[in-house]
Amino acid sequence: MTETTTHSRRTVLTGFGVINPIGSGPDAFWQALLAGTPGVHTITHFNPEHLPSRMAGEVKGFSAKALIEKSYRRTLNAMARTVEFGVIGCQLAMQDAGLAKGTVPSHRIGVEFASVMGATELDDLGPASKHSIGADTVEPDMAVWGKEGLPKVPPLWMLKYLPNMPACHATILYDMQGPSNTQIPGDTAGAVALGEAQRIIRRGAADVMLVGGSEAKIHPLSLSRFNLFAPFSHRNDDPEGAIRPFDVSRDGTCPGEGTAAFTLESLDHALARKAKIYGEVLAVASGVDRGLKGPGMAQLIRNALTTAGIEPSDVDHVNAHGLGTVKGDAFEARAIAEVFGKSVPVFAPLAQFGNLGAASGLMELACSVLALKNGQLPGTLNHTNPDPACPIQVHTGAPRPVTKPYAVKLSYTDLGQSSVVVIRRWEGV
Amino acid sequence: MRRRVVITGMGVVTPLGWTVDDLFTSQIEGRTAVGPISRFDARTFPTTFASEVTGFELGKFLRDAERYAHCGLNTHFALAAGKMAMEDAGLLNPAKGNRSRMGVYLGSGEGSDEFPALVRGLAHASPASGTGPVDAGEFTRVMLQWMDGPREGEQEMHTPAGHIAETFALDGPNQACQTACAASSQAIGEAVELIRWNDADVMVAGGSHSMIHPLGVSGFNRLTALSQRSDSPRTASRPFDLNRDGFVIGEGAGLVVLEELEHAKKRGATIYAELTGYGTTADAYRMTDPHPEGRGAIRAMAEAIADAGLKPADIGYINAHGTSTQANDSTETAGIKGVFGDAAKKVPISSSKSMLGHLIAAAGVVELVICVMALRKGVVPPTINYETPDPECDLDYVPNSAREVRFRHVLSNSFGFGGQNIALIASKFVD
Repeated sequence: MTETTTHSRRTVLTGFGVINPIGSGPDAFWQALLAGTPGVHTITHFNPEHLPSRMAGEVKGFSAKALIEKSYRRTLNAMARTVEFGVIGCQLAMQDAGLAKGTVPSHRIGVEFASVMGATELDDLGPASKHSIGADTVEPDMAVWGKEGLPKVPPLWMLKYLPNMPACHATILYDMQGPSNTQIPGDTAGAVALGEAQRIIRRGAADVMLVGGSEAKIHPLSLSRFNLFAPFSHRNDDPEGAIRPFDVSRDGTCPGEGTAAFTLESLDHALARKAKIYGEVLAVASGVDRGLKGPGMAQLIRNALTTAGIEPSDVDHVNAHGLGTVKGDAFEARAIAEVFGKSVPVFAPLAQFGNLGAASGLMELACSVLALKNGQLPGTLNHTNPDPACPIQVHTGAPRPVTKPYAVKLSYTDLGQSSVVVIRRWEGV
Repeated sequence: MRRRVVITGMGVVTPLGWTVDDLFTSQIEGRTAVGPISRFDARTFPTTFASEVTGFELGKFLRDAERYAHCGLNTHFALAAGKMAMEDAGLLNPAKGNRSRMGVYLGSGEGSDEFPALVRGLAHASPASGTGPVDAGEFTRVMLQWMDGPREGEQEMHTPAGHIAETFALDGPNQACQTACAASSQAIGEAVELIRWNDADVMVAGGSHSMIHPLGVSGFNRLTALSQRSDSPRTASRPFDLNRDGFVIGEGAGLVVLEELEHAKKRGATIYAELTGYGTTADAYRMTDPHPEGRGAIRAMAEAIADAGLKPADIGYINAHGTSTQANDSTETAGIKGVFGDAAKKVPISSSKSMLGHLIAAAGVVELVICVMALRKGVVPPTINYETPDPECDLDYVPNSAREVRFRHVLSNSFGFGGQNIALIASKFVD
């Protein structure tokens, strides 16, 4: 195998776009992470007084109109907030990578996006609903809905919420005619999007893949639904302290919103254009730990380390999903402990900004990318009393110097869908 | 040499049958299942008909079906198709083989809102005048009472793929994608790549979807994507016909067991076909309209043919995306001509959707199953309801009756809202 083909199979992160409750843009986000700025507060996007859990990581003052390419502004009326976040995240990553439209031949660039269906904006369906149901009736009158309600639904209503719309708009904005896919398996969506993008580059179907995720669940319908089934924290009197990863007093998680996007690029391509490199993606593993027991995730971590060609002792830190849920944290800790014991610091950045769902994987991964790049690992918020059921070493407090070049990122869903990403600090070829 | 991938199991739940044989027989006989919508009263909707799966109960497929009582139809269809595919492949026994090398890739649709509760909640929290902003706080208060938590939890998009893994002990790679009408074909293509790249030996791949609910039909009606031929629903899906006026919404699921060739041979599995080619591109053009010259479709087909190591002349049958919309059928025709040149007129092309309707995210996998059967039986299904030729659609669409054709390679197209173009090639297995 020639040196060139070896390089062409390596993939590096070369652009980063972020909009996060604690700070937007790579620098502001990093400074807020380092400072331990809390991003979870009482909800302000709407009146949350009736929700059992009233806390979230909200992005304040976001204006897609101010940020979006001028030529594309008119399309905003076909975008729900989650799509707006996604499109802007993609734009920021492409700008950061220095990849203006046309820089990469259109067939050689594609997108992998992590996203799920958005909830309808209430006002989109309010008039049709009001018109189609009696004041004391439980069931809508379908004959009225079909004839007089339906025409009150905005014509592009359905398109505003489809999960593949961030990817669709990004392909149009940047004339990306390579592969375009949208991953939907919940909190593992970002990792599998990254894994698939890596495979696409390795098999030669593209040189650059835009990999992003977005989420906007701080929404009255989404949070009504989630409060009925999701393991949310009820620590409403202390929002900043609500998410307590691996802490003995943890009682659930909180949602967050925003977007994180990277450009993933073949090493050859990045070197040839002298791109700024944030880090290298070495391995992405996906699997299922049925019943959230632990050994399945542990095996997945071992597989990913093997693919990356490293040992547990080479790892600077494990970046956990660390939701702050009783069951989930114990599961994750068992898996980490089985592979690393207590020897490796565990970092759970989600405590600062909430669970970004489909965007969580890439947002949390970004924290490790920046930590390796900047040589400092921020502390985990709100971990004060270790839980014996979580036999791991959680890094808290002041930032700690990064001592090793590798980090491991974990994600999972309530059904045990699990993913592991291994990245390396960029130190040159 | 790259790892070869074969199909060793197939399962479908469709409006035209719940077994692969029933589905294929109905396709060859040119039957349709399109009829009035029965799920809800759609009599005043612009579109009143659909292609529904009727009489389906998960209990006919799984003994512990009550475990999935809160799940949506998309999950139920997927579990039934998964059961049949796994049984067909001889992999149902969870003690068999290395399960961490067996994964899932589903191109699955979203769950659905509980329509009556949503309308009731929105109406309740709307101003008395009927216009003006909905009171979000009051909306949450009533929705917390009117929605069912377990049901809502099962509408999340990761759940169908998660339940397939859980039910059939598939601990390997677990992915799910939603690229509209291209989703299940894209899932199959990328699952093939997972096996080729040695991330798995077996992938259970395909898709599942049902949008025959009030908001699904309302949404498509507002986009004017659906046929409104309410006086003749059974002839409404008429791909490539001059008088086509939109697609007919369908529902269902399909899953295929994709397996690395040596793995399949070692355990003596029945090999139905080899998955030899995959092409994936984006139009980068508009949200719903395909590029008028079919540029993305052309490259997807060309890439799939090259991926299979073939030339266009090797393709003996094309199963078209053929939705029966004005835009799709003419641009797909242009795309086929772009790839096949003069040979385009010689290759038989048909649209399964003329009979099945459009299964949205599940369309591609069900059509691939039909392709595999056509390959094995040497007969290609027709495009029914083809009456008036469209000058822009001037190829051989196998009008109205099936045709015996011996061929070795079949191309299946799937294109989706959002601009994703997928082409798959299945080939007769030759060791």
